[in-house]
Amino acid sequence: MTGMIERAPIEILGWFLGLLGSFGVPGWILAAVSAVIIIGTVIGIFLGLFALTSVMERKILARVQNRYGPNRVGPFGLFQPVADGIKMITKEDLVPRTADKAVHFLAPVVMMVPALMVLAIIPYGRDMVPAELNSGILYFFAVGAGTEVAVFMAGWASNNKYSVLGAMRAIAQMISYELPLVISAIVAAMIAGSLSPSAIVAAQGGFAFGFVPQWFVLTPWGFTACLVFYIAALAEANRSPFDLPEGESELVAGHLTEYSGFKYATFFMAEYVGMFAVCGMLVTLFLGGWQAPLPFLTIVPSWCWFFAKVCFVAFTMIWVRATLPRLRIDHLLAFAWKFLLPMSFAAFLSAACWHYAGRGPLAWLLSLAIVGIPYLILGNSFTNRFAVSRRTYQFSE
Amino acid sequence: MTLQILLSISAVLFAFGLAAVLSRSNAIMVLIGIELMIGAANLNFIAFWRFSENPSDLAGVMFAIFSIAVAAAEAAVGLAIIILVQRRIRSVEVDDASNLKG
Amino acid sequence: MKIIGEWFVLLPAAVLLLAAGASVVMRNLIHAALCLTLSFIALGIVFIALGAEFVGFVQLLVYVGAVAMLIVFAILLTRPDRLTKSGTPFSGLGPAGGAATGFAALVVLLAFIFSSPLAKKPLPAPASAPVAAIGGALMGNDVVALIVIGVLLTAALVGAAVLAMEDKP
Repeated sequence: MTGMIERAPIEILGWFLGLLGSFGVPGWILAAVSAVIIIGTVIGIFLGLFALTSVMERKILARVQNRYGPNRVGPFGLFQPVADGIKMITKEDLVPRTADKAVHFLAPVVMMVPALMVLAIIPYGRDMVPAELNSGILYFFAVGAGTEVAVFMAGWASNNKYSVLGAMRAIAQMISYELPLVISAIVAAMIAGSLSPSAIVAAQGGFAFGFVPQWFVLTPWGFTACLVFYIAALAEANRSPFDLPEGESELVAGHLTEYSGFKYATFFMAEYVGMFAVCGMLVTLFLGGWQAPLPFLTIVPSWCWFFAKVCFVAFTMIWVRATLPRLRIDHLLAFAWKFLLPMSFAAFLSAACWHYAGRGPLAWLLSLAIVGIPYLILGNSFTNRFAVSRRTYQFSE
Repeated sequence: MTLQILLSISAVLFAFGLAAVLSRSNAIMVLIGIELMIGAANLNFIAFWRFSENPSDLAGVMFAIFSIAVAAAEAAVGLAIIILVQRRIRSVEVDDASNLKG
Repeated sequence: MKIIGEWFVLLPAAVLLLAAGASVVMRNLIHAALCLTLSFIALGIVFIALGAEFVGFVQLLVYVGAVAMLIVFAILLTRPDRLTKSGTPFSGLGPAGGAATGFAALVVLLAFIFSSPLAKKPLPAPASAPVAAIGGALMGNDVVALIVIGVLLTAALVGAAVLAMEDKP
């Protein structure tokens, strides 16, 4: 029964293709139809998640701030994305007179395409990867580099000082945080022995002591790498506390200042889809992908576990946005280069020592030390520099 | 798809890069031309690797990888030099950097 | 190669040549840089289609993600649009001279390509360069080159940062 639910998407697709094949449709058309159906399903799921998240984010932010979020449109405000969509589509599409028309038009497209393309290699369930690539992790980062070009195009084409400034800051932030992102992903790939996401998920299977899942996040190096990846992912997606490039109080809207209506909605969509894609990658690399956390919970289908984990990670990202203040650009860049990058190297070294020390108890202690000591040293160096001294009051006598 | 077609494509790319280096006045365009020529050379390496009798000899692939890394380093240093020269002579035209003194 | 497989290489190659040609003749520098980025992407796809996937992804990561951004930042920092003294974006040999030299080089190269017996090879079976093999070669046979590249990149980055730093008053 559970096997049937779990394999339901694949079985339905196979039945439909068999139906088409029995009508005498040639093989290559079947392959094309299968590809279109899979792509349409994945994009449809993620756009639906985008719509749901846009309202859930506002409601969660609101609840953290002790107020209701949108609750007028539909039950509990859940139809708010429909209202937002209608507003975005019917808004006037303003393009500045001196803007670079072609580049201004193409920037949202160039932003959206990589965000959607990276969804192809994430394993959504057992045997449910849209594209089985041997170097899937490399594909993820190579395609993700396309978003930087889009940010620059958006900032430059608007012919606006604030846009260009916002674009330069955004690109500096994205490039700085790309290194810790890639290195912490390589940590998981190194231990799993492959760059293919399916292989990395499979390497996290099984249960130690019968009930403890062998996810990478439950090891010292994996925990560090997961946190580094999480923080770098927040910065790559330009989300709070790293959203200075698009902070409304600093730079109007940064590189998005001159965009209105549907183009702004496309940027918004690309940011959320990118956030979900990187959450999906985090879940794949460190949280065990579609694996269940306990042996008796494997009755729940694998794709349910995957989306539950992705939604949980996205919820923590919204939680972080509601809680932490925005970082200044120089603090942000210093944090990337002076803390995250050494910590990602420490996680790398720790994972290698854990593997070569035999993965026994001694290996665990050694890897914990290799990760913990740099953390204490670097953390102290940061807090000491920005330490607030005890206040002294002086009253005039 | 013969080797000759691939080599011709890289030859055309090289010709474009050469024309850019020789005829553009902006130093950054000259650098763009250099990057095109390096890309053409990389395409040659990969084309010859693809058509070789034992593709498990990865010499062409390794050469292309190192060439990409070196090209990135060279672009970084070249652009830094262009920025520095622009600060001195207030221009990025290659014709204006004509003083041997200073 | 089946007819469809061949177009996986020829179509990106056509885009590559068009974008490279466009970037060489464009007057607007930013447009030229963006066309160059497109040509880098097309070159990366050509590499992937030829079977060298790792090189293709490295091309996309390094060239599109880093070199293109460097070029664009340099254009932004030097703001050449306001500083052109000559009326045209061409100098040196001029557009005619540059095109003639490029054409001459092309003719010479094509002559060598089409007269060489080395280039008349038949197409072997599809090859693949698995990442594991590349990693093994990097750490085994070519480890000296890897270390030298590491030192070179460090020196280049530190040098570029020092060069572009503003002098403290």
